[in-house]
Amino acid sequence: MEEDEFFGEKTFQHYCAEFIKHSQKIGDGWEWRASKDCSDGYMCKTHFQVKNGTAMSHQGTSAHVQTFLPVEEAVDPPLDDFEVTETTTAAEVIKYEYHVLYSCSYQVPVLYFRASFLDGRPLALKDIWEGVHECYKMRLLQGPWDTITQQEHPILGQPFFVLHPCKTSEFLIPVLKNSRKINRNVNYITSWLSMVGPAVGLNLPLSYATAASQEEGNVSGQDNQRPLI
Amino acid sequence: MTDDKDVLRDVWFGRIPTCFTLYQDEITEREAEPYYLLLPRVSYLTLVTDKVKKHFQKVMRQEDISEIWFEYEGTPLKWHYPIGLLFDLLASSSALPWNITVHFKSFPEKDLLHCPSKDVIEAHFMSCVKEADALKHKSQVINEMQKKDHKQLWMGLQNDRFDQFWAINRKLMEYPAEENGFRYIPFRIYQTTTERPFIQKLFRPVSTDGQLHTLGDLLKEVCPSAVAPEVPNTVLPGEAKIEPTFEPSRIAGGRKASLAVKCWASQGPSRVFIARKKFHWFRTKLKQQVFRAGVQKFQL
Repeated sequence: MEEDEFFGEKTFQHYCAEFIKHSQKIGDGWEWRASKDCSDGYMCKTHFQVKNGTAMSHQGTSAHVQTFLPVEEAVDPPLDDFEVTETTTAAEVIKYEYHVLYSCSYQVPVLYFRASFLDGRPLALKDIWEGVHECYKMRLLQGPWDTITQQEHPILGQPFFVLHPCKTSEFLIPVLKNSRKINRNVNYITSWLSMVGPAVGLNLPLSYATAASQEEGNVSGQDNQRPLI
Repeated sequence: MTDDKDVLRDVWFGRIPTCFTLYQDEITEREAEPYYLLLPRVSYLTLVTDKVKKHFQKVMRQEDISEIWFEYEGTPLKWHYPIGLLFDLLASSSALPWNITVHFKSFPEKDLLHCPSKDVIEAHFMSCVKEADALKHKSQVINEMQKKDHKQLWMGLQNDRFDQFWAINRKLMEYPAEENGFRYIPFRIYQTTTERPFIQKLFRPVSTDGQLHTLGDLLKEVCPSAVAPEVPNTVLPGEAKIEPTFEPSRIAGGRKASLAVKCWASQGPSRVFIARKKFHWFRTKLKQQVFRAGVQKFQL
């Protein structure tokens, strides 16, 4: 059917492969993992972020994540005692895992993610929610993402948080339709991830966009990479 | 649909006699007696165990109680799986009652989803129903329903009200007269032998040449390892055939072809009632054949 052309599983895998090629070029850390029986798989990335300690931070296992700061931007030496006020905890590193899977029911990509401290303690949903930037919170509650819930990862069988996919095609189809109209090639994984990722701390360097528009865009894919300007 | 009603009722009212025992390391102020309950196959553990929780909390101190979770022979039980599915997958070959251990500490974060309230169960259930309708009707039927219809579906399940539930669910089980069935059949196949929690793929109820697909066709296509072919000892030239060990009898009529799936899609039971009484032999035969072929782990 006509939807399969846009969002079929083969198309999904093709665009993920292109996406990963670019990621490898710029060292962005995305890789493909096949399921044990190799019938399908997902794209994943792990990165580490520093919890931004503030004077109001709480004790205990709850991570009061103010905003998402990439590790490179964090100051190297640990927070000095002088920089924190009475109740603060030391800076903590949180490990984030992002998985991009394909939903054959909705025929769209879905973003799964989880976060934990380095000792393995997982972050609760309310901690994740606290880490979402204010401007995204409003939009998340209104959709098209609906909300974040905890669900079982369909390939690993473990608890992950998920951005609901049911409205994805609503905002993705216009992007693809428009790009075809003006004959511009778009990697829909790049488009989609750049829209939903930032809401949960996942940012894409701009070079992904320029790489996508320079691709030949033929669905069967090419092996040789054109050099990026 | 009315002639299938007895099968639908049998599926809905299926029960599993269960014995709940408090985990021995939980701290109690006095001895905790086990608690017996008949669990509905089509429901969810955290939805139907309020009495179990109250019973054990009576002998514990508040500070020793955090989120309840259940375990069977060391395996944490996923509350978001239908009860019947959990039983079939893990305990169907053991003697009844089903012995479940109750925990109030050390929640296994890596294995289980949290269930802080009934709302979470409702959200999960509704999302399953919506996903099934996405496959059956491109979400048209579920989206055309009002919020109060969605609520009625949930309340029917929560309060064990067959008629209330099916008043709404029957709309999700219909398809236009000109079609031969749903767009795709919503199904999931669970096996204990795989790391992957379940197999779910797109599968049409009718083949390209217009033949109605059977359960056997589905299994052969998406889970071939569970279908052991019976290889004859001598192979006659021109006659060599590989046949599956069971005969997936054609289930007559478009409606019945999807009856099996209806049961899953609407109620999430683990056992598929293939058809009404006169086809009951098929389900029994399937189970026997499957056992004999040594693929007992296969449970639909």
